[in-house]
Amino acid sequence: MRITRANLGKLVRELAAFGSTIVAPRSQGGYTDFAPILSLDDADLSRVNTRRSIKQFFFPASEPILAFSVSGKDVTLEQADPPKPAKTVILGSRPCDAASLPVMDKVFAWDYNDKFYLDRRAATTVVSISCTDCDECCFCTGLGLAPDSTQGSDILLTPLSENEYLVEACSDKGRELAEAHKGLFDKGEGDKAAACKRATAKLPKPMDLAKIKTWLDAHFEDSLWKDISLKCLGCGCCTFICPTCHCFDIVDEPSGDRGVRRKNWDSCQFAQFTLHASGHNPRADRAARWRQRIMHKFKYYVDRFGPRSCVGCGRCIRECPVQMDLKDQLRRIENLQG
Amino acid sequence: MSDAAQNELRARARELLEAGRVDAVLGYAEGTIAGRTTPVLARKPDEADKLVLNRQCVNNLTVYLNRPEIKKIGKMAIVAKPADIKAIFVLIQENQVAPDSVEIIGVTTVPECSVLPQRTHKELLDYLVKNVLPTELDADDLAEVAKLDAMTPDQRWAYWQEQYAKCIRCYACRQVCPLCYCARCIVEKNRPQWVETSPHERGNLAWNITRAFHLAGRCVGCGECERACPMGIPLMKLNRKLAREVRDSFHGYVAGYACEGDPVLAGYRPDDPNDFFE
Repeated sequence: MRITRANLGKLVRELAAFGSTIVAPRSQGGYTDFAPILSLDDADLSRVNTRRSIKQFFFPASEPILAFSVSGKDVTLEQADPPKPAKTVILGSRPCDAASLPVMDKVFAWDYNDKFYLDRRAATTVVSISCTDCDECCFCTGLGLAPDSTQGSDILLTPLSENEYLVEACSDKGRELAEAHKGLFDKGEGDKAAACKRATAKLPKPMDLAKIKTWLDAHFEDSLWKDISLKCLGCGCCTFICPTCHCFDIVDEPSGDRGVRRKNWDSCQFAQFTLHASGHNPRADRAARWRQRIMHKFKYYVDRFGPRSCVGCGRCIRECPVQMDLKDQLRRIENLQG
Repeated sequence: MSDAAQNELRARARELLEAGRVDAVLGYAEGTIAGRTTPVLARKPDEADKLVLNRQCVNNLTVYLNRPEIKKIGKMAIVAKPADIKAIFVLIQENQVAPDSVEIIGVTTVPECSVLPQRTHKELLDYLVKNVLPTELDADDLAEVAKLDAMTPDQRWAYWQEQYAKCIRCYACRQVCPLCYCARCIVEKNRPQWVETSPHERGNLAWNITRAFHLAGRCVGCGECERACPMGIPLMKLNRKLAREVRDSFHGYVAGYACEGDPVLAGYRPDDPNDFFE
């Protein structure tokens, strides 16, 4: 299938008319982030990637999980069920962001079904756009993905020209959307590889992920951790803009005799993250905390679920104030023996 | 021109390491991403050749001086631009860095790259007072502040609410700031939780305003917080506003131009008239 840019604009209007919230990359104040759009003209689909990932639409930075009130010794729960999420279409996510969704799905429906995440997931359709370009921080190809990967997307659009996209419906949700608006789509094929060749040419070679995993299995203790983490300042920027970092904190925020319990993004890079009530901190220094970030993505998650919990979007590299370079560190590990 | 300055920097670093005057030189090296530099430690004389000096040397490296992992290494020489040198002076003034524990290799990157000939803290201080203080809070900075001042309180409130709404509480602003050195930040104190950790309106406002207050009369204007902020919040606007307020209210005091004496908002004098409260 194909769709013209004009018809993509009509699709946005039709989806909005049917009551969907549409979010897309928007450039404002010098950076690009996802925000609601009413017209395709509001979107900026030209950027390599957005500052934040699409994680925010499934797992927001902060959300109330219940409200309570206290009267004497009685506590009453006022709202314990998540509100029904709005029907949402994400337009213009990159294939790396889309590929983060299957990674996150495993975590949020593992030993406990996180209704907050899963309800939003069910209510959201992901229409990604293949990358025709990339920057030096991108490394999806290092991890077995590609600028035109379909993982996690309901529909993948690949720009064939300025005015037309190749359309791949990759899931039932995507096929339903295409069927519901079929007047806007044309029959036709397209050359995905040709469309993405500029990006593909610049992206790194695949890494030997099995070798990296083997090294990590045997090197919980290693001087490498101290070495590569020495310049890390311990902010949470990398983890918060990461599409697959999913740790959260639960806090109660009381006000008088009422209160709200919230679920907030948290970061393994914060000193307080593992601080015990006793005062002991099992991850006492930067080296232990940075090791955790790499181990979690390339060993612990792999041990439990199979794939890696990194999609190579490069955000952590792009935004790190001291240029911690995960891609470079993985290459280093790949080249280590034993 | 900049190659000459870079060579001079490397020679200075090599000299310090060869003479055993420092255990390491904290400077900038080419990063793995083109067009960017990254903090680096040169520990042996030969490693001085890793150091670079160019306009991409943006970090304020003085933030590392109080890191436990860095302190363990020993005596440091640090490559420092004018604002970074001021940060060191505030750290000395606030008893966070021992004056003789750090050698400063003063450099500039604008308008062009150079290694300052001044070597002792005293010489560098004189240089700053003579050459940098007169341009402190320059016209551009003040124009931004004037725009905020021209707003009505309601407009200003709306402006900051909109900016702080973007905050995701990653604390990059705090972690890159050499003057945010508290071992346990107030936002991490949870009995009681003085500042809500949630990135909602109340929490973000409390966090950002508290941080700006804590930097009033101390911020040296290096701009690292704004550079590091992944959400593009113009944090320096408020810092500059407060720097101007301090300058205008406390006999022209500007942070970073003294190694001794009380910090302007942290001193106590028994003979202080305290006539602003009855």
